[in-house]
Amino acid sequence: MHHDDLKRELQNLPVKYLHHMARGRIHRHFRLGKHRLVELMLAFPPDQILAIETELQQILTTRQERLAAQEARAAARPPIPASPFQAKNRPPKKRPTFGPFQPSITLKQILEGIGVPESQPFVPDPWQTEAVEHLAHSDVIVSAPTGSGKTYVAIQAIRQAMALNQTVIYTSPLKALSNTKFMEFTQLFGPDQVGILTGDRRDNAQAPLLVMTTEILRNLFYDAASGEIDLRLHTLGLVILDESQYLADPERGVVWEETIILCPSQARLLLLSASIGNPQDLAEWLQAIRPIPCHLIRHAKRSVPLRGLYLHPTGQLVPLFKNQDILQGKGYTFHPETKQLFAEYEIKPFH
Amino acid sequence: MPPAIHPVDLIEILRRHRLTPAIVFLTSRRACDEAIDTFAHSSARMSTQRSEAIREFLEKFTKDFPSVEHHPLIPVVQEFGVAAHHAGHLPSWKIAIEELMRQGLLDAVFATTTLAAGVDFPARTVVITQSSVRKSQDFTDLTNSEIQQLAGRGGRRGKDLVGVVVITPSPYIDLNILGKGLTGYPEPIDSQFVVSYPMVLNLLKAHSLDQIEGLLAKSFAQFQLNQRSSIHQDHLDQIKEQLTPYGPRECADWITQWKGFDLARRRKAHRHPIVTNDTPFLTACLPFLTPGRLIGLPKGPAIILRQYRSRGTFAPMLSVIRAKGTLGECPAHSVTQVYDRLFEFQPSRTIPWCQPQVLAQLKKELSQLPARLPTVPILPETQETDDPLLAEVLTEEFPCPSCPSHPACKKDFPLASKLRQKAQQLTKTIQALRDGLWHRFQQKADVLHKFGYITANSQLTADGEWARLIRINHSLLITELIRMEAFSGIAPGLLAGVMASISHDDDRPGSYMRLPSGLASMLTQVRAVADSLSPYEPPPLLRSDVAALVESWIGNPQLTWASLVRSTSMAEGDVYRLLARTLEFLSQIYGLKVTHPGLADTAHSAMVTMRREVLQELP
Ligand SMILES: Nc1ncnc2c1ncn2[C@@H]1O[C@H](COP(=O)(O)OP(=O)(O)O)[C@@H](O)[C@H]1O
Ligand SMILES: [Mg+2]
Repeated sequence: MHHDDLKRELQNLPVKYLHHMARGRIHRHFRLGKHRLVELMLAFPPDQILAIETELQQILTTRQERLAAQEARAAARPPIPASPFQAKNRPPKKRPTFGPFQPSITLKQILEGIGVPESQPFVPDPWQTEAVEHLAHSDVIVSAPTGSGKTYVAIQAIRQAMALNQTVIYTSPLKALSNTKFMEFTQLFGPDQVGILTGDRRDNAQAPLLVMTTEILRNLFYDAASGEIDLRLHTLGLVILDESQYLADPERGVVWEETIILCPSQARLLLLSASIGNPQDLAEWLQAIRPIPCHLIRHAKRSVPLRGLYLHPTGQLVPLFKNQDILQGKGYTFHPETKQLFAEYEIKPFH
Repeated sequence: MPPAIHPVDLIEILRRHRLTPAIVFLTSRRACDEAIDTFAHSSARMSTQRSEAIREFLEKFTKDFPSVEHHPLIPVVQEFGVAAHHAGHLPSWKIAIEELMRQGLLDAVFATTTLAAGVDFPARTVVITQSSVRKSQDFTDLTNSEIQQLAGRGGRRGKDLVGVVVITPSPYIDLNILGKGLTGYPEPIDSQFVVSYPMVLNLLKAHSLDQIEGLLAKSFAQFQLNQRSSIHQDHLDQIKEQLTPYGPRECADWITQWKGFDLARRRKAHRHPIVTNDTPFLTACLPFLTPGRLIGLPKGPAIILRQYRSRGTFAPMLSVIRAKGTLGECPAHSVTQVYDRLFEFQPSRTIPWCQPQVLAQLKKELSQLPARLPTVPILPETQETDDPLLAEVLTEEFPCPSCPSHPACKKDFPLASKLRQKAQQLTKTIQALRDGLWHRFQQKADVLHKFGYITANSQLTADGEWARLIRINHSLLITELIRMEAFSGIAPGLLAGVMASISHDDDRPGSYMRLPSGLASMLTQVRAVADSLSPYEPPPLLRSDVAALVESWIGNPQLTWASLVRSTSMAEGDVYRLLARTLEFLSQIYGLKVTHPGLADTAHSAMVTMRREVLQELP
């Protein structure tokens, strides 16, 4: 068969047959689009191409037979009006729908919401206040989405502890983040109030607020345990572990566990974490191993609503989902236009 | 691979719909750089007013961070308001871009997904072009948490009424993974506790063994192991309940008795007694290798369908279903991982060892495995116990044939013995889960004792006292090298070069510079030591090109950053990270100033020389 003919034949085939043929030939074929599959198959050496052609012939004949049989059956049945989509796409998984029919959102409706809010005086969210208040008598874990304002909790907690003449340690998983936070805190509290510790440098190590990576803090705790205290750990009142979802990092996660286990009992722990699936496990764990209670604050809702758009390579912009805002735990249905355009993309990607 | 839409078109569409500033996540660093390059010949300029503002900002910024001054991307950033931001860049450049983004001066940043975690810069819009990421050679689907980390950057509090996530297809996209990730719940996190040599030394320095057992029991790892073992405990309780009707009969332990009797009866047919020569580890594994167990094989995960003994050698064998849905046979000793996950099904006696629909189900389960799974800690028996049954079989006569319970025993034995086997297996699992961490600690402690860092009664030796201060990867290799005085009288540059090649665990290709002969022979020696330690600590890559690079930076203080970067094909950001990590390793060696003053001095002078230009911009 000629190269172009083969290409056309393959492209006309439903994608499931392509996957069938790709099995054992193309690594991880199931994650490739139709176009890419065809491309890869055509790149095979000639003997493989021959094998593919024979398979293709087989598929085509069986398909024709099946289609013919189907037609014969359809002719014998009264016609059913078909929805325009079902011809192309599999129907979506049926979910029981209650209440009146919900029309799909339009692009205009989605774009209308975009804009800049009027500036408002800063009012802390209830969960933020709650976190700061509980730190007075317990450890606190905050699990909230990115961008919801966990830094505010850290800053208020630092203020509270510094007012009591306590030392505060703030750790982040990355040097880059430590540097950013160091600059931010220096602006906020003044250069003499903030110090930074790295593997080979100590800047202003006598300051009441110290910024470092979690590894450095773990090392400090080990030194303190063996009696080589060179920092005022007895005045340590608060330890903030930012981005503590790193506890699950395959290589470095153990450092967070060591730090928490070794953390002196008089110091409060404030764990700030992005949304995770089991924050209550973390809370129960802290509760079990620390002498003071642990309060969990789980704030799942995004502060700024999020909306989805689908941008087709031709430049067409359509809503991604049927609903306006992206919500958690409610399932999802793609917008019909997205479905249609994406199906087109899978068949013949745009160049 | 760029997104299928042209980057310039993408940005213009976003601008037209007031969707800027935006972060565009692409699959690779190269894709980000190429996207920026396409702007150079476009007409997508920004207003001169904003260009001017960016210029002013960068001018002020270079006062604190001179390394940014001649950055090749500056013209594009100023003219078009777009930038690339990924691990190939210097930290100072990344800070500049983040700050510009925060001030709202940029329209778009092209970034890699690896960066999403941790860096703090939000935007109005997030553009996602992929549903999987490259993780060590292979593509893995993004998890819900990762997708939400990306999408979470969209919509700034106080600056945006709504955030937008735009999905635009590229060859790496599966729409459903993104749909699920955006609307699903984030995954639960699992402990990744590992016991390291420095951990053992540092714990032993300050605590008694009893206290350490208590400390390990306080880990999140143990907390989760306990959670899992309590599920097994519930299961065990149920089984014990089911076992109650099969309590003592004429003899107290009738199940064992009958088993022996049964064996003896069958053994008559055999000429030779059955001897197994399984290793203790294999013997410990076997109770777990039952139908439905998820295991790791060299080729990937598989689920066991049955366990049997081969006809010829009587070696334990497994029939398994692999991820692709193929059935296979493999010897039990080829199992690399035993996972704490059991898919219950009714085994059958003929191929495929279960109902066909079960097979389909198992295949589906295999395709949906999470990236990380808890394993069952296997505790091999230390002393080999002879099978007591075997002894009994050979010596004792059985009362069974004439016993009044004979018919009842005969009838109940299959079920009762199966239940009891299950109960024993669960008890073992629970035991293993409870003791796993402590066991791992002891294994590491044994190695440290073997090498003379701790005494037989778990006290630190003189070497252990200083070795505990080396708290980095490959600590055993480094302390062993120090003990054999491999570094005595070494030049600072050479020491730094060796540390660089030990610390660097990235296999992203670099260029091959000419190796100075001193470094070459040094690395050969290090490699030999690393190989001899490989049973106890995985050896580092020990790349010689990175060693040469670092050696030249320290050996030649006149070398400028620009010419250093020009001498290698590594990206600037990678060179920076290499040097920063080397600095960290050196500073640990500097920490040995009491016991090894000469070596610490060398390390210190290497550190001082190292910190110049870019390397002193940030703490
Ligand atoms: N109560 C609030 N009202 C308005 N804006 C807030 C509030 N709390 C925090 N913010 C703003 O939200 C943004 C994101 O906060 P940040 O602490 O960086 O989030 P994260 O939770 O990811 O650490 C900051 O710009 C901050 O000023
Ligand atoms: Mg934060």
